Amino acid sequence: MKVQAPKYALKFLRWFCRKDYLEEIEGDLIELFELQSAESPAAAKRKFTWSVVRYFRPEFIKLFPSQNSKFIIMQQHNLKITYRTFLRYKSSFLINLFGLATGLTCAILIFLWVNDELSTDKFHEHDAQLYHVMLNHEEDGGIRTDTSSPGLLAEALEEEVPEIKMAVEDSDPLWFGENFSLSDGEKFHKASGKFAGDGYFEMYSFPMKYGQADHALKDKKSVVISESLATRLFGSSKDALNKSLEWKLLHFTSQATVTGVFKNLPTNSTQQFDFVLPFSLFKDILGDGLHWGNYNTYTSVLVTPGTNINQLNQKLADFIKNKNQGSNVSPMLVKFSDLYLYGQFENGQQAGGRIMYVRLFSVIGLFVLIIASINFMNLSTARASRRLKEIGVKKSLGAGRKTLIAQYLTEALVMAFLALIFAIAFTYALLPQFNQITGKVLTLTLSPTFIGGLIGIVIFTGLLAGSYPALYLSGFKPINILKGHFRGSATEAWTRKGLVVFQFVLSIVMVVSVLIVYKQINFALTKNIGYDRNGVILVPMEGKATENIESYLTRLGEVPGVEHVSASSHTFTQNGSFTTGVSWPGKTEGTIIKFEQSRAYYDIQQTLGFEMAEGRSFSNQYGDETSKIIFNEAAIEAMGLEDPIGKKVNLWGEEKEIIGVMKNFNYSSLHSKVEPMLFHFKTDFLPNILIKLNTKNPRNVLSNLREWYKINNPGYNFDYTFLDTAYEAQYKAEERVSLLARYFAGVAIVISCLGLFALAAFTAERRQKEIGVRKILGASHFTIVRLLSADFTKMVLLAIVIGLPVSYVMANFWLQNFAYHINLEWWYFAISGAAALVIAWLTVSFQTIKAAQTNPSASLKEE
Amino acid sequence: MKEPSLGEFEELVLLMVAALHDEAYGVSILENLETKLDKRVNISAIHVALKRMEEKGFVQSRFGGITNDRGGRRKKFYIITAFGKKMLDQQYALRTSLYQEIPKISFN
Repeated sequence: MKVQAPKYALKFLRWFCRKDYLEEIEGDLIELFELQSAESPAAAKRKFTWSVVRYFRPEFIKLFPSQNSKFIIMQQHNLKITYRTFLRYKSSFLINLFGLATGLTCAILIFLWVNDELSTDKFHEHDAQLYHVMLNHEEDGGIRTDTSSPGLLAEALEEEVPEIKMAVEDSDPLWFGENFSLSDGEKFHKASGKFAGDGYFEMYSFPMKYGQADHALKDKKSVVISESLATRLFGSSKDALNKSLEWKLLHFTSQATVTGVFKNLPTNSTQQFDFVLPFSLFKDILGDGLHWGNYNTYTSVLVTPGTNINQLNQKLADFIKNKNQGSNVSPMLVKFSDLYLYGQFENGQQAGGRIMYVRLFSVIGLFVLIIASINFMNLSTARASRRLKEIGVKKSLGAGRKTLIAQYLTEALVMAFLALIFAIAFTYALLPQFNQITGKVLTLTLSPTFIGGLIGIVIFTGLLAGSYPALYLSGFKPINILKGHFRGSATEAWTRKGLVVFQFVLSIVMVVSVLIVYKQINFALTKNIGYDRNGVILVPMEGKATENIESYLTRLGEVPGVEHVSASSHTFTQNGSFTTGVSWPGKTEGTIIKFEQSRAYYDIQQTLGFEMAEGRSFSNQYGDETSKIIFNEAAIEAMGLEDPIGKKVNLWGEEKEIIGVMKNFNYSSLHSKVEPMLFHFKTDFLPNILIKLNTKNPRNVLSNLREWYKINNPGYNFDYTFLDTAYEAQYKAEERVSLLARYFAGVAIVISCLGLFALAAFTAERRQKEIGVRKILGASHFTIVRLLSADFTKMVLLAIVIGLPVSYVMANFWLQNFAYHINLEWWYFAISGAAALVIAWLTVSFQTIKAAQTNPSASLKEE
Repeated sequence: MKEPSLGEFEELVLLMVAALHDEAYGVSILENLETKLDKRVNISAIHVALKRMEEKGFVQSRFGGITNDRGGRRKKFYIITAFGKKMLDQQYALRTSLYQEIPKISFN
C-alpha cells in the first residue's frame, strides 16, 4: 500500500499557504515524500512535517481575509457597545472596575514583597556553593541548632577537608551593638562593624568600589569600609583609600589603614555592616576564649562544585568531637541563602521559618485575586442576562455565535485592562506606605517580564470572567429570548451562589486569622514578663566609661532622675550568650544544661526590677563580689539543688558561691521559654550600661544625661535604647505581618461585599414584578426585606459553617510557633462569623430596602 | 531602484536552473544540488530562493502538464531569463578577475 503523506501537516500547509504557490509546493513535497518513503516511511513523514513547518514564513503565508469582511468595523462596534454598556450600568461597571483593580493591586504588592523575600541573599556569585556552618548541640531534651561555631573551625575545615575549597570566619555586627566607633582623628562616629577572615570578600559578592577584594583584610592594621561610611568619615569615598583611622570597641582600640571601599550593600542582603576589620584582631580580643568549646564565630565555607552535602555533613559530624573530648556539637552545613527563609531548626533539621510568611502572603494574594475575579464573573453573568434582548435581536439579524462570543470577550478584556491600568497607578501611589509597613525598599520596575506576567494574568482573568457569559448566553435560541420564554437556569444560579459562598469563606478565614494574630501580638507586648523594663535604658559602655567603670557608674548614678545604674553583658532583648560550663555539687557525669549567662554589675536587680525568690543580689555593701553568682529558679530546678544559698558551684574553673535565686523572668522574647540563667559578678567587659530612670519625667532625665555625657564622655553621642522599645522590636516581624494581613483582610471583605452588593441589586431588579405583586397583595416592607435577604443570609451562614473550622485549624497551627500563646476562645470565631453576617446584611439591606420601597405601579405598569 | 543582488545560495540555485535548462523544478534542483554540494538541503530553502529570484526577474516559471505522479499536482518549471544570465556572467567575470589577481603563492 502506498504510504500517505501526514494528513495534518498537509492540512496545515493548505490552510496557510498562498494559493498561487500551493500546487507547486505541495507537488514537490509529495514527490520528495514518495521518494523518501521508499526507504523509511517514518523518517519521510517526519521530514515532510518539518518541511511544512519550514514553509510557515511570511513569503508563503496567504493574506487571511476575515470571515466578516468588516472585521475592523465589527471591532469598533464591539468597543462602542462596551462603552455604552459601561455608561448604562455605571454602578456595576464601577464596582467591577474598583474590585478588580484593588484585587490586582494587592496581588502586585504581594508579588513585589514575595519576590524580594525570595531574592534575599541569592545574589552572591558563589551562591550554589556557599554554605554556613551550623552547630547541632545535643542537649538534654533534644538537639538545638545554632548559628555560631568555634573561632578555630574555619581554619581547620579548610586545611583538613578536601571538599571545602575555602572557609572564612566572621562575626555578627549585632554582637557589638553600639559599642563600635570609628574616628578620622577628630570625632568618633558610631558604625556597625564586624570582624572577618581574609577571604571574606572573595566568598561573598560585595563588590569593591576602590581597592582590591583579594586579601583586603590580610594585614592586621587594615580595615574595609562602606562607601557611605567613607563619605561620613572623609567627606568623599573617592580618596578614602589608604587613609588611616582609629577604631574603638569597649577598651580595645587601634589604628588601621583603609585597604578597600565596598559599594553600599544591597538591601536584600541579610548581612548589613559599615566596616570590616581583620579576624585576627578578634582572635586577639577573644584571647583564651578562643577554643573548641566556645561558640563565638560564624563560619562559612565554599564547597567544591558537585559536592554531595548530605555525605559531607555525615563526614563532618564528629569533626569537633574529635578535636575536643566531650564536646556535644556536630557541624552541619546549611546553604547560606536558605538561612533567611528557612532559619528555624527542629531536632537538627531545617523546619521552615520566614518562608511561612512568604507562603501565607502568596496565598492571601491569590485569595484576593480570586475573590476579585469571582466578583467580576458573577457580575458579568448577572449583567449579561439583562442583555438577553440585545442578544436576541443581534442573532435574528444574523450575528453568529462567534461574533457574540467575541463581543463578550472583548468587553471582559477591556474591563480587565482598564483595571490593570488603575492597579498600576494604585500600586505606585501605595508603594511608599507599603514600604514603610514592610520595612523594605521595593520599587515597581516595569520590566518586560513583569509586564508580560501582568498582561498574562489580566488576559487570564478577563477570559475566565468573560467566558461564562460569552459561551452560555450566546447559545440561546433567539426565538425563545424574544418571546420571553427565558428563565435563568438553576445551574447558573447555583454557580453564582457557590462562588459567593466561596468568597465569604475566604473572607471569614482571613478575618479570624487577623483577629488572632492581633491578639497574640498584644498578648506578647503586655504580658508580665517578670521584670520591669519600663523606663530602663541601655547605653553602650564606651569612651571614658571603659577607663574606670566603677567611678564612671557611680557618678552616672548621681545624675538627677537616675534611680539605679548597673551593667551587664546581656541586652535582655535578644538571647545573649550561653554556657554549659557549670558544675555543681551532685552533678552527674554527662549532664549538659545550657545556662543563659551574663556578666553583671552591682544593683542589677534594682535596675531591672526582677524579684528574688531567695537570698540577695549583687551589692557594693558586700565589697568585691567576683566570687558570687546568682541563678534563676529554672536553673536551680534544672540542677536539682536543694537549699541553694551558700552552695558553691564551679563556672569555667572558678569557684562561685550562690548568694541568691531570682524568680524566673523572660529575659529575651516570648518566642522562647524561660531557660536556666545565671548572673556572675564582673567589673570588666560589660558592654551594656543599664540605667533605670525616674519614670515621672523621663524626658528631663534624658536631657540631664545628655548634658552629663557631653562633659564626662566627650567625643561620644549619648545613644540610648529603651528596653521596652527594643523588646517590642522583636515582634516587628509579627507586627508587620499582622498589620499587612489586617489591610489585606479588609480589602478582601470590601471586595466580597462589593460583589454581594451588586448581586443584591441584580436580584432585586429581577424580582421587581414579584415584589410589586406581593406589595399589592399586602406584604409589608419588612416581609419583603426579609424575603430578599433570606437568600443571602443562607449563603453567608453556609460560608461561616465552612470557614470557621478551617480558620480554627490554621490559627492553632500558627500559635504553635510561640512558647507562650493565647488560648483560642470561642468568641473569636463568634465575632468573626457575626461580623461577616452583619456586614453582609448591611450591604444587602441597602438594596432590599430600596426594592421594598418602590411603588408597585412603577414595576407593574409595563408590559 | 537598487540593483537586484544575488545571494550565495540564490546563485547556486540560479546556476542549477541554468544548467538543468527546461527540466528545472523544485525536486530536480534539490536533488542535483544535494549531489553537487554533498549536503542536505531543505526544499523550502529552494522555494524561497526561487520565489525571490522570480520577483527579481532572474528566472521565469511555467506550469507543466498534469500527470499521475505527485498526487496529480503539476510541476512548476523554471528557466533562466536573459537578465539572470547577465547577472551570472557578471558574477563569474568578477570572481575570475579577482581570482587572477591572486599572486602566485606557494603553500608548500
